[in-house]
Amino acid sequence: MDPALLLEPTILAQILIQGLVRGAMYALMASGLSLIFGIMGVKNFSHGEMFMIGVYVMFFVTVVIGAPFPLGIAAAAVVLFFVGIVIERALIEPLRRRAGRDWLLDAFVLTIGIMVVLQNLALIVFGSRRRGITELIDGHLSIGENIVVSYERLMIVGVAAVVGVALFIFVRYSYAGKAMRATSQDPEAAQTLGIDISRVYTYAFGIGAALAGLAGALLISIFPAYPTVGFHPIIKSIAAVILGGLGNVQGAVAAGLLLGLIEGYTAFFMSAGWQSVMTAVLVILILIFKPAGLFSRRVERP
Amino acid sequence: MNAGGAPQASDGLTAARIAKIAILVALLIAVPPIADSRFITTVFISALMLGCLAAIYDFMIGYAGLINFGYAGFIAAGAYTSALAAFHFGINPVVGVLMGGAVAAALGFFAAIITLRLRGLYIALLTFFLGEAIRFSISNTPEYTRGMLGLSTVPFPDILGFDFSRATLLPYYFLLLALVTVIMLFMWSLVRSKYGLAFKALREDELAAESLGMSTTRYKLFNFTVASFLTGIMGGYYAHYLGILSPTPEEFGIFRTVEILTICYIGGRGSLWGPLFGAFLIVGFQEYFRGIGPWRLVLFGLLLIFVMLFARRGLAGLKKYVW
Repeated sequence: MDPALLLEPTILAQILIQGLVRGAMYALMASGLSLIFGIMGVKNFSHGEMFMIGVYVMFFVTVVIGAPFPLGIAAAAVVLFFVGIVIERALIEPLRRRAGRDWLLDAFVLTIGIMVVLQNLALIVFGSRRRGITELIDGHLSIGENIVVSYERLMIVGVAAVVGVALFIFVRYSYAGKAMRATSQDPEAAQTLGIDISRVYTYAFGIGAALAGLAGALLISIFPAYPTVGFHPIIKSIAAVILGGLGNVQGAVAAGLLLGLIEGYTAFFMSAGWQSVMTAVLVILILIFKPAGLFSRRVERP
Repeated sequence: MNAGGAPQASDGLTAARIAKIAILVALLIAVPPIADSRFITTVFISALMLGCLAAIYDFMIGYAGLINFGYAGFIAAGAYTSALAAFHFGINPVVGVLMGGAVAAALGFFAAIITLRLRGLYIALLTFFLGEAIRFSISNTPEYTRGMLGLSTVPFPDILGFDFSRATLLPYYFLLLALVTVIMLFMWSLVRSKYGLAFKALREDELAAESLGMSTTRYKLFNFTVASFLTGIMGGYYAHYLGILSPTPEEFGIFRTVEILTICYIGGRGSLWGPLFGAFLIVGFQEYFRGIGPWRLVLFGLLLIFVMLFARRGLAGLKKYVW
């Protein structure tokens, strides 16, 4: 590795752009996970499978039916919203009622069971063949001579930004968003004030799952549909959620971007295989030294 | 308390109970040699190995409430230490297995130190990434570990005149049976001593335990280090039994951890012996249903969900009817 490359602006810019695109993907995936964690405290390990279902819905709507791709993305979000609601109502809610004090750890194990079931059902129904679309939109943007970025990647960044802002506005200003924040701060007090917390949990889980589905549909050209496609996204989302501070949605989005950049540079300066080690080490360091996340001012919990 | 259920109500060794233990031990000793089939021996080895690993897992989660979600990485540490020691330096696997235990114990001690400030889910997350870091480090250093190409391991040397060349697996089975017996009795004696009470206090209410003057730090470190040592030993055995190691997610990653965790939960948390029974049930079930392909894993996942929702004490919940 030639250190002189470090000073080459076009190369640095190219990595920066790739890192940003990758970061936008992680941010999108992590936002749903972070929302569920922030409001319910549940670490949803089946989030990657929500992502996987989203990719399949996208494939079905755009390739099998032949509808335009924005419709596929919308369909994925809607389908996953209902999948999320059903899972929450049928499995997580009963566990919460049954397990008592330490139910969060049990809920984590329960979502592992959901992961195993969904992954293998997908294998039975669809087989292990990869189904994807090479490009949603063709063409690319060139800046100068060496910096090239495809329109599709730009769209991914754009959608991630729009979703991030929409989520922020929803959580901050809407009534449902306020109810969610109240529930996450103090479920008992929220209940006393007339908020139906079990409904809040259900919707939070539904929205979180919808975000995973949306991410899956949007990223179909990068992650084609196959049963274990959710594995990589879930790991990256968990990493982003920890780096950003568990339950801090904006933090998770920022951490997703940061993770993308770090990985972009690691991949360039070291072999690509070390990316995952870098991510893991980074997460471990954060959990040791700043367990509440990079962007938290509060010193509390773990 | 939810995680694990009440301690054993009566542990008295009645005549009936001694008879039951004797029958089970006799079955374990007699079935593989009498069946004299490589298949049966393999199934018994898998069940015993996974059962013991799940019991060690239970020693952490069911007793002290510490969840190690990077558990497969600790098995990998033991397995690769022993395999690499033999591969690069020609170290006798019997010594190698102990080295594997020592390396895993050091790792466990380190993991315990860095998770001291955390609890529950956060311990799970940290150990998960620790396990992944170990696995990816192995797959990224093919010049030492042969990475995904697979590292072939030497068989054990002949012990007490028994032939460990893997031509017949029965010596491996009996070595494992001896190993598992020692490990189980060791853990059993620990959880019945004052350590067991301390672990339970840790699990139930760390703050209360601490305010009563118990050094929670000390017991956490102890629990994690001992469990990791035993895990490393099992990993070392596994390496030399298996013959080839590769750092895939199925072997040393998330899927292996989930498998062991499921066996532990199905066997019953906080029962120590439950996971051993759970392993025979699960492994038997998996072998029996091998023909139905992925449906097997769907059933496996459903079983875990069922246990979490409806049978929270797992198989150990049946104890009062049959034991």
